Amino acid sequence: MPNDRTRFLTARIVRNEGRGEIFYRIEAIIPEPVRFVPGQFAMVSGWPGNDPLLPRPLAVFRSGGSKGKGKIEFVYKVVGRGTALLSGLHPGETLSLTLPLGRGFDLEQEGRSYWLVGGGVGFSSVFPAAAALGRRRARFEMFLGARTRGHLPPKEWTPGGKEPGRIHLCTEDGTAGYHGRVTDAVLERMKGLSQESVERLVILACGPREMLREIAAAASERSVQAQVALENHMACGFGVCWGCVVTVWDGDQTAYRRVCREGPVFDAREVVW
Amino acid sequence: MVIPDLSVSLGGLRVKNPVLSASGTFGYGLEFLPFYDISRLGAIVVKGLSLAPTSGNPPGRIVETAAGMLNAIGLQNIGVERFIGDVVPRLEDAGATFVANIYGKTVEEYEALARRLSEVPSLGAIEVNASCPNVKEGGMAFGATPEGVADLTGRVRGCTGKPLWVKLSPNVTDIAVIARAAEEGGADAVSLINTIVGMAVDHRSRRPELSNVTGGLSGPAIKPVALRMAWEAAKAVRVPVIGIGGIQSAADALEFLLVGASAVQVGTANFRNPRACVDILEGMEAFFREERIAALADYRGGLTLEKIP
Repeated sequence: MPNDRTRFLTARIVRNEGRGEIFYRIEAIIPEPVRFVPGQFAMVSGWPGNDPLLPRPLAVFRSGGSKGKGKIEFVYKVVGRGTALLSGLHPGETLSLTLPLGRGFDLEQEGRSYWLVGGGVGFSSVFPAAAALGRRRARFEMFLGARTRGHLPPKEWTPGGKEPGRIHLCTEDGTAGYHGRVTDAVLERMKGLSQESVERLVILACGPREMLREIAAAASERSVQAQVALENHMACGFGVCWGCVVTVWDGDQTAYRRVCREGPVFDAREVVW
Repeated sequence: MVIPDLSVSLGGLRVKNPVLSASGTFGYGLEFLPFYDISRLGAIVVKGLSLAPTSGNPPGRIVETAAGMLNAIGLQNIGVERFIGDVVPRLEDAGATFVANIYGKTVEEYEALARRLSEVPSLGAIEVNASCPNVKEGGMAFGATPEGVADLTGRVRGCTGKPLWVKLSPNVTDIAVIARAAEEGGADAVSLINTIVGMAVDHRSRRPELSNVTGGLSGPAIKPVALRMAWEAAKAVRVPVIGIGGIQSAADALEFLLVGASAVQVGTANFRNPRACVDILEGMEAFFREERIAALADYRGGLTLEKIP
């Protein structure tokens, strides 16, 4: 049985390839399957030497396998030195992984309908949530935003299943789907909702901070529950460096909470935007 | 097969091996329970404790640099009372040897911390942080001069019968003088180095990377500096020196022992490999077995400066 215990392990890469214009997918074999909650992440490294020094946090995209042979997948975009080196690793080479880490999305709410909002590479947290909701036959819609068509996630990565949710594609330059920011598509669609539908709605979002901030504000205005997956620079990923804190409300005071431990998923009302 | 004796006395605290965790990189130790049995380490040095819980610096606390990282966490911690109430029993259950690192804004706060922690029978030692670069009054204000270090050490010494270690800053002109000041003040051991003050800026946004503007540099980038300072300190004092700074491997740790350190603390390496401390310990044990060295004492301080004939 896969388990959700946090572990540090060595994985063997079986696939690491670019897809579309900007994304990569890396797949690796691990000793035992791992069970994760969508929104949880791993600390990933594998390049030789001490520079860059720190592993990179990546959302767990998929996991599977059977006893004695687990499988794990991540998708990523090259944003700096670490991810550039990651993209240069070959099948047969190894990854160091610490996983699963953090607190994922709360998807276990009965009688709800979900909107999943992914901006840019944020789909990497949102797709696993869609897959989990699909398996449960929960109602959901997905909003995916990118600057341009080529920056949307490749179609074959979209979770399938018997009842895939409705997908709204949005591009800022209008080359695919809704012409505008994903935030605006969400806001427009929310306007048309009845009070009854709003009360059932849960929004799960991952993407640039500005996108999350606006989603949080719109959700708050109509008292919609919103869960946001935050990103931050991290040194350790498991709560000991205290480097990745964000400011949250703690009553009428503010406090610092670790994205890696108390997050990465926060109630949007908790975050001091 | 002969099992090498790696035990060593660190100023009154006997530890079974010389691999310790460095304060600020190991949380309260419990965070590592998913990864290995923390009682295997010589000792765990927990995150710096203050009298009251401390919230630390605003976000923008870490930035990666060449072969290292800068941090300006600002000593966020749960405070000494929660440590004693919630953490100590669990460290006892885990069978860990543990050391409390303390810092205060005033000498009186250090004294109060030392008195309170002395009431914890299972506490192995107190490490005085005289070297945090990231809070205005904590540590470095006392650690930058020999007089400051001697005075702080002497005052804390008067408040505790626990083994007393003083963690030294590298941001000084002569580490030997500072180490001697700690020894004269009554330290049972000195640990060094804390981080080196550094800075990173973004040339496009024209802003510092850290909210605190400056931070402490750690990681392999600082190892040569740390090694040199451990060597200088070990020559200057009779009390044990605990080497810290950029240790990533058993070889790195052995180098510190060779220049005279009695033990090492592993810091930033824990961030990228949660098993770093035990990996280093196992590597060290394997080295001693391979080299047929029976005891740590036979290797420690064995640096030879003579030219190979």
